[in-house]
Amino acid sequence: MTRPAPATVRWLILLALLVFWELMPRTGLIPELFLPSMTSTLRVLVADWREYAEALMVTLYEVGFAMLIACGFGILAGALVGGLALLRNLLLPVFSSLYAVPIVILYPIFTAWFGIGSESKILFAGVYGFFPVMLSTAAGIRTIDSQLLLAARSMGATLPQQIVRVIIPASIPTVLTGLRLGGALTIIGVVVSEMLTSAAGIGYLVTRYRTILDSAHVFGAILMILLMSILFDLAARAIERRTLTWQTAGRREKETREARPATPVAAPAA
Amino acid sequence: MTRLQIVLVRLALLVLMLGAWELLPRNGVVNPRLLPPLGDVLVMLADILGRPAVQEAILVTAAEVIVAFIIAVPVGAAVGVLIAENDYLGEIFKPLLFYVFSIPKSIFLPMFILIMGIGFQQKVAYAAFSTVFVVIMSATAAVESVRADHVLVARSYGATQMQVLTRVYVPSMMPFLLETLRISMIFNFTGVMIAEMYASRTGIGHLIANWGENFQMPQLFAGVILLAAVAIAFNETVRFLEARCSTWRT
Repeated sequence: MTRPAPATVRWLILLALLVFWELMPRTGLIPELFLPSMTSTLRVLVADWREYAEALMVTLYEVGFAMLIACGFGILAGALVGGLALLRNLLLPVFSSLYAVPIVILYPIFTAWFGIGSESKILFAGVYGFFPVMLSTAAGIRTIDSQLLLAARSMGATLPQQIVRVIIPASIPTVLTGLRLGGALTIIGVVVSEMLTSAAGIGYLVTRYRTILDSAHVFGAILMILLMSILFDLAARAIERRTLTWQTAGRREKETREARPATPVAAPAA
Repeated sequence: MTRLQIVLVRLALLVLMLGAWELLPRNGVVNPRLLPPLGDVLVMLADILGRPAVQEAILVTAAEVIVAFIIAVPVGAAVGVLIAENDYLGEIFKPLLFYVFSIPKSIFLPMFILIMGIGFQQKVAYAAFSTVFVVIMSATAAVESVRADHVLVARSYGATQMQVLTRVYVPSMMPFLLETLRISMIFNFTGVMIAEMYASRTGIGHLIANWGENFQMPQLFAGVILLAAVAIAFNETVRFLEARCSTWRT
């Protein structure tokens, strides 16, 4: 007997999960309070779509600004730390140590300083996403094949030419991986902070409906957050795949992969 | 720069930052109600560490972190090894795991609360849940880091299964295993903190959230310093061990 293709099995697992989600509460094996069935969740989403849409707009607005902060400062700091040996030796180990601190414990400081509106969420999520972007950018610049730089210099490339023609193209795949992780983390940061203390946004809906034990509405919000992060992940991966075609040499591909595990796995998701 | 110089410059930067934290609020450049001077925060830290309520909260949090860690690491490691060793299972589950990895685990916190309440077991269950996926991924990477030619050489020289395991797999994987422990502890700690800050009656995360809501900034900063120090100390210890173990690999 031949085994079914892995992709088929994956879809079957997904299908089984959905069936499980629908049948378990319907048959009463799991109380609707713990797990409302898929149809009742969807019905709630359709019935209250206006409330969910408004909350989603708030969240997306916060996520957008937070990503600008995380990616902008992350790429800038990463380029400096990765490119200048002095800063690298001085600061990179320090950043790796700071990475161990659960950033969420800083959130009460953000609310005390900036209130419970969007500002505290944007800044908190920006900090949340900053570290992976910075570390990946630094790694991307550091792991550039020195042969490429040597060749460019031997042929008389000036420093700006080296940066534009060699360093930036060669570090793009690693930087994009960092942006994907950082983006995922800013979404997490916004959702977590909305769940903790806020008055608007999709995370706030999760918390508000949980306190009044309205599981169907909680799951409606959970479903929207799930969709948001999966769509972001798909989009980021599609962009990554497109830019990978720039890469030609097989060697570099291998090197970045070896240099990578430190960053992607270390993303402190919540 | 020599090592000594690097250490000196780092120390100077640290002193500069801590000095600014002390002096700017003292001189009123920064509002001391928003950022209490470092000295006040340290005095407060000594003060809260002496309070029985805080000591109890620390013990509760420590117990939650340890129990969740003991559950998540073996389970995740077993699944990770299975996925890495079995190509078919690997092909099925690895892409799924990558998706699960990018999903914020905290959105499932309400489920844990609805099912288990807001006690000790809910914190442990949520923290273990939020940790297990990263353990699976790192364990997979650890197994895949064992080089096939090393295994082949060992087998050709007549090593038994057991010898291959203890002489090839364990030494090759050791730095990765420590890395796994280190990263899973970061996730685990974060998970416990979020669960405590979200809904809890005790624990240091609950205290921090409370202090923040009541605008008790010295207490809040003291708590943050305490937690950050513990997290960094654990992380650095494991990294030190990692550095020693990687000398085995060539």
